[in-house]
Amino acid sequence: MTVTRAGLYLALCLTSALAGLAPACAGGVNFGDDNDNNTDQGPYFFGFVRDDTGSAVPDAKVTATVKAGGALVTRSNGMGVYKIPGFGKNVDPDSIDISCAKDGYKQDTVLRRPHAAGDNADPVEVECTLKKE
Amino acid sequence: MTRALCLVAAIAFVFSVLRADACRAQTLTGAVSSAEEGAMEGVLVSAQQTGSPIVVSVVSDDKGRFHFPGGRLAPGHYTLRVRAVGYDLAGPPAIDIGTTPADVAIRLRKTSDLAAQLTNTEWLMSMPGTADDKRPLIECMSCHSFERIVRSTYTADEFVPVLERMAQYANNSIPARVQPRVARRDVNDASVHKLAAYLATVNLSRAHDRGSEGWNYELQTLLRPKGRATRVVITEYELPRATIAPHDVRTDALGHVWYSNFVENELGELDPKTGANRDYPIPVLKPGFPTGSLDLEADAEGNLWLALMFQSGLARFDMKTKTFRIFPVDSGLNDDAMQLSMVMPRSAGVDGEVWTNDVARQSIMRLDLASGKYQRIDPFSLLPTGRLHAPYGMAADAENNLYFMDFADQNIGRVDAKTATTTIYPTPTAKSRPRRCMLDEHGRLWFTEFAANKLAMFDIKAEKFKEWDVPTPYTYPYDVFSDPNGEFWSGGMASDRVLRFDPRSGRSVEYLLPRPTNIRRVFVDTSTKPVTFWAGNNHGAEIVRLEPLD
Repeated sequence: MTVTRAGLYLALCLTSALAGLAPACAGGVNFGDDNDNNTDQGPYFFGFVRDDTGSAVPDAKVTATVKAGGALVTRSNGMGVYKIPGFGKNVDPDSIDISCAKDGYKQDTVLRRPHAAGDNADPVEVECTLKKE
Repeated sequence: MTRALCLVAAIAFVFSVLRADACRAQTLTGAVSSAEEGAMEGVLVSAQQTGSPIVVSVVSDDKGRFHFPGGRLAPGHYTLRVRAVGYDLAGPPAIDIGTTPADVAIRLRKTSDLAAQLTNTEWLMSMPGTADDKRPLIECMSCHSFERIVRSTYTADEFVPVLERMAQYANNSIPARVQPRVARRDVNDASVHKLAAYLATVNLSRAHDRGSEGWNYELQTLLRPKGRATRVVITEYELPRATIAPHDVRTDALGHVWYSNFVENELGELDPKTGANRDYPIPVLKPGFPTGSLDLEADAEGNLWLALMFQSGLARFDMKTKTFRIFPVDSGLNDDAMQLSMVMPRSAGVDGEVWTNDVARQSIMRLDLASGKYQRIDPFSLLPTGRLHAPYGMAADAENNLYFMDFADQNIGRVDAKTATTTIYPTPTAKSRPRRCMLDEHGRLWFTEFAANKLAMFDIKAEKFKEWDVPTPYTYPYDVFSDPNGEFWSGGMASDRVLRFDPRSGRSVEYLLPRPTNIRRVFVDTSTKPVTFWAGNNHGAEIVRLEPLD
């Protein structure tokens, strides 16, 4: 694991902890709305949004678009990190495009790192670079 | 001759004015005090004339003084009531109001039954346990208050069949009328046993063992209103039957109040001038199934639409002819579990399509007005199948694209009117359970994050969220209304308070209501200055009007 990638994992862990994303007890229908039954989940998507100088871009819109139709939209946090919870495992991760946007910028590059095909536990890392307009 | 006629007319006019003054209400003023505190601020004083369904309440100021505005109380015999947690009314219990102003000294004494005065919020504050322990209780207050739970003596084992029974009741059940579901629901044994074990630690099941008659924890109370929160007039309109459960409320151009009845198959109309109530029966589509409707939305022509819940259809009420047109769900899609809780007809003129939902199948439905046929859309088809979802509050933009709240999870969604594809936007706060919403003319979608205790806004153009914490914990805001002055109005099922919040200054005011008030949809009449807040008391068979004095 590269230093950059280790840093990204650390940032993501911090983000998850701060956002209260830690797994809670499984609940059930009617009594308890804990909603953590993600056994049918495909890999999640994560990465940095940076500008062309390498600086993190917070509050950028990050869109995961499914080729067959439909999308999920989130934002990068203060450290420029985003995380998109997994789609269903019936959705092919390779059919999902990641794009990013922010006022005053245009998308430059989208770098998708290698992902173990068929391994839903292996998250998909996609780095998105924006360029000032 | 003309001059003489004018003189007669002038004299008649003066007499008519004087006579009107004599019949019109006179001001009632007074002061509230107790032996413990002396003059008391923030005490709600309510007056109800014998035989009238209208109750008017004001709040004492920092000197203990209260003042009913002129014109609200006609001469007559009035019962007096107070709300001040920890206190009961010592006297006087009633007063005669004549044609001259009256001043009354109201005395309070310490209550002997504090538990009877606690709101659901105060019970949640008082109960020991973690936030996760308490979280399932937010389902309970859909049908009843927590007092019913904490006064029970069930052990954990005894609670299990009670909870299993409750799970088979329809959402549109209240203590005055329980409605069993026709389609049985599966119950998760683990979650039932976990909740049963917790409830047995907060009720009176172990009081006998302790040799005590009360609870093994201190009862916490919220502060009484202060300052700006005392400058308000609240009017309650009691409805003629305990089984009327007003859910969504809105006013029309004449000032009449229309409301959906969550339990009975009726649309209600209230004349606030007289308190007179009129019911418009909605045809029963599925005899033997729970009755009652939810939501109340106007289409572009001003006609009102209702979602018929377990009756499985939509109803349009023509405001000119005062008649219904019913759109039942066709038999191919209809089943015993079907539950249409929302309707969004606002932009149906664009494409002839009205949005609705089916809670049982976690799906969006779309009614084609020309054919009367429904289309089912699964907005969560891309997401893992194991998670619970529930499309709930709805709004449509000018092109009839749908925005909906995912009440069981932490998303809002957009369904494209042309392609029927869905875009999911997770809220910044996890496990937020977005509930009801409104879309303003600036493209801002205002909504509540019910389980996160937050108000929120989603800018549909920028696709960006903002969130604000509600000041009182365990408020569980159900709905929010953003008025043209830039202030939010909100309420919920727990705190008996109406929240007024200015996001620019961060200042908030919480107006306490005179009675336990399970608030659902909130509505603000922006034609008055200041604006007027309206809501139904879902478990209390009354409509509530709140008029801030600033």
